[in-house]
Amino acid sequence: MKNLLFLIALLVLFKANSQKNWLSGNFTSFSQYYVDDKRTGNFSKEDRFRSNNYLKLDANFNKFTFGVQIEGYAPQPILSFSPSFDKQIDVATYFVKYQSKQLDLTAGYFYEQFGSGLIFRSWEDQQLGLNNALRGGKIIYKPHSYLKIIGLYGKHRVGFDVSNGEIYGVDTEFNFTEALNIENTTLNLGFSILNRSQKVENTPANFKKNTYAYSGRVSISKNDFYSAIEYVLKDADALFEFGTLNTEALSKGNALLINSSYSKKGFGVNASFRRLENMSFYSDREVDGNIDNEQLVNYLPSLTKQHDYGLASIYVYQTQSRLSYNPFRKAGEIGSQIDVFYRLKKGTLLGGKYGTKLALNFSTWYGLDAEFDNENRVFDAKFLSFGKKYYTDFNIEIRKKWSKKWSSIFTYINLFYNKKYIEERSGKVNASIVIAETTYKILPTKSIRIEVQHLWTNDDRKNWMAGTLELNLSSKISFFVTDLYNYENDIIKTHFYNFGGSYTKNSTRIAINYGRQRGGLVCIGGVCRIVPESTGLGLSINTSF
Amino acid sequence: MKNLLIYFIFLVNTIAFTQNKLPQIILKNLEGANINISKIETNNVTVFSFWATWCVPCINELEAINEEYSDWKNETNVEIIAVSIDDSRTSSRVKPLVNGMGWEFPVLFDLNQEFKRAVNATSIPYLIIVKNNTIVYSHAGYTPGSEVELFKKIKQYTH
Repeated sequence: MKNLLFLIALLVLFKANSQKNWLSGNFTSFSQYYVDDKRTGNFSKEDRFRSNNYLKLDANFNKFTFGVQIEGYAPQPILSFSPSFDKQIDVATYFVKYQSKQLDLTAGYFYEQFGSGLIFRSWEDQQLGLNNALRGGKIIYKPHSYLKIIGLYGKHRVGFDVSNGEIYGVDTEFNFTEALNIENTTLNLGFSILNRSQKVENTPANFKKNTYAYSGRVSISKNDFYSAIEYVLKDADALFEFGTLNTEALSKGNALLINSSYSKKGFGVNASFRRLENMSFYSDREVDGNIDNEQLVNYLPSLTKQHDYGLASIYVYQTQSRLSYNPFRKAGEIGSQIDVFYRLKKGTLLGGKYGTKLALNFSTWYGLDAEFDNENRVFDAKFLSFGKKYYTDFNIEIRKKWSKKWSSIFTYINLFYNKKYIEERSGKVNASIVIAETTYKILPTKSIRIEVQHLWTNDDRKNWMAGTLELNLSSKISFFVTDLYNYENDIIKTHFYNFGGSYTKNSTRIAINYGRQRGGLVCIGGVCRIVPESTGLGLSINTSF
Repeated sequence: MKNLLIYFIFLVNTIAFTQNKLPQIILKNLEGANINISKIETNNVTVFSFWATWCVPCINELEAINEEYSDWKNETNVEIIAVSIDDSRTSSRVKPLVNGMGWEFPVLFDLNQEFKRAVNATSIPYLIIVKNNTIVYSHAGYTPGSEVELFKKIKQYTH
């Protein structure tokens, strides 16, 4: 209680200060009051109320920026968040940054990314409970507009503590276009070296604490074309399985990512190819594959379309980068994704008066075809060969505006989800999903939105249907009611209903909802968190100042 | 630790701070060229709209703005810049989508959300109105028709 008062006092003080533009920040709060529900489970009294709170404050003073982030998990963090968030309230991150024309220096906690993150990325996602900031120091040196060099050292944040592994990294990026004054073409080149250093107890004397990774990347853009290639090589590292580190089984890893696109007004196409071999990479070898996504060194998002709709988020692919011999033999993944965007012109037969927009997406992912030596725990994967099929998704989205007041979006999805390999459970899922949503404006800022969804499958939990009704009374006040129902399930049919409202004013948003949450994976930006089914009242507050 | 914080608050209270300026951050545009945010010309009202390819309300907002954009420009000379916070999962989809949609405004890549963090945006869609290098207004969320109120704000800061 004392802590809560302290937090409120701080907030009020800073809110007052911000009126004078002295400093800036934001405050985010997610709270849940869980109730007993025979479908989703019961709670003991002390476990009912849970709340995650984040207060970020930045102060600028000429070339210096000071920042802190205070986090509070009082009385407990929301269900399924990492147990490392074990303090009711404390300073979670802090930094001092000096910035001049050529030099950026940061001491304290920082975020950074090399290239696309294939070798290194540290970032934050509060809704996922993910924050893998490094605590240490970072130097960014820009001697010319075409050259950028980053040097960094740090330990990954783990809750209110840090990892026992250390990260050393160097990244350089060279922009040929600016260096050589080329016109109409952009050419960027980058190189990185990263070292993850971690002493492990009870290992043989010859076991190296350092694991190096090297990467190179090039991107070129000319007229309507764009292409980028990135490659990472990771030194041999020990295998973590059955809760112990096998320092006898050392394997190298590598990653290749290729993106190409062509686009002009009204048309765009993009194709991606990625191959990952033993690329799971953590600060601490012994948290490899942890469900809380803590101490992740690199960022390997699943290259599939990130769907926004309820039923389209049930079977979500998760990148299979990890080497494992048990329960299934897996060495990585290989696959590709294609996107096409097309605008049917206004005034044409199909375009209609207001035009029609199409988006097509196809992605397919396979396990690497490899030979495994189970006894010695080594493997040999072929470069361009496809093993077990893990996932495919073909989807099409049509946006149609019928009149100034009325618009619709239609989506069709056909997917295959190999539950056995993705979740390491039994089963496969073939499913089709159809979604239609339509928005009707009653007044300029008053509207109603209706969404209907249906998922067909003979597998897993069988067919689902879902619907949403949303009322926007003004640009400030909205209400919604939604329901997901697996009406054909043999064992138990459950309505996952939810209703609530929100109030928005400038950069402040308050939302309240009550309902049953579907358990499973919550995925944001290709990283997923497993949440249990639960029922309760939720409150979220966001404000910036 | 708490004492340290209180000390920190007093410290910041006694020093005169600069205003909420645009941060010195370099982002890439659709062509891969480097753009320094703090050097963007903002003598006219400039709107930065933070969005992502996977955020349906964001796309609805930018579609609505795009429809009105030529009218808005004629009346107020406003500049719209769409800042994509797509990370490497979806960033390769940005350029084809922008062209496929036929959007008329420039787009920047905020790959690791550096710009978003610097302006303290909590969630997207999120927009800031900037005039003379100073953030004068910010807004979270989008509901159909919100663009009407955005334009009122743009006109308010134009004069």
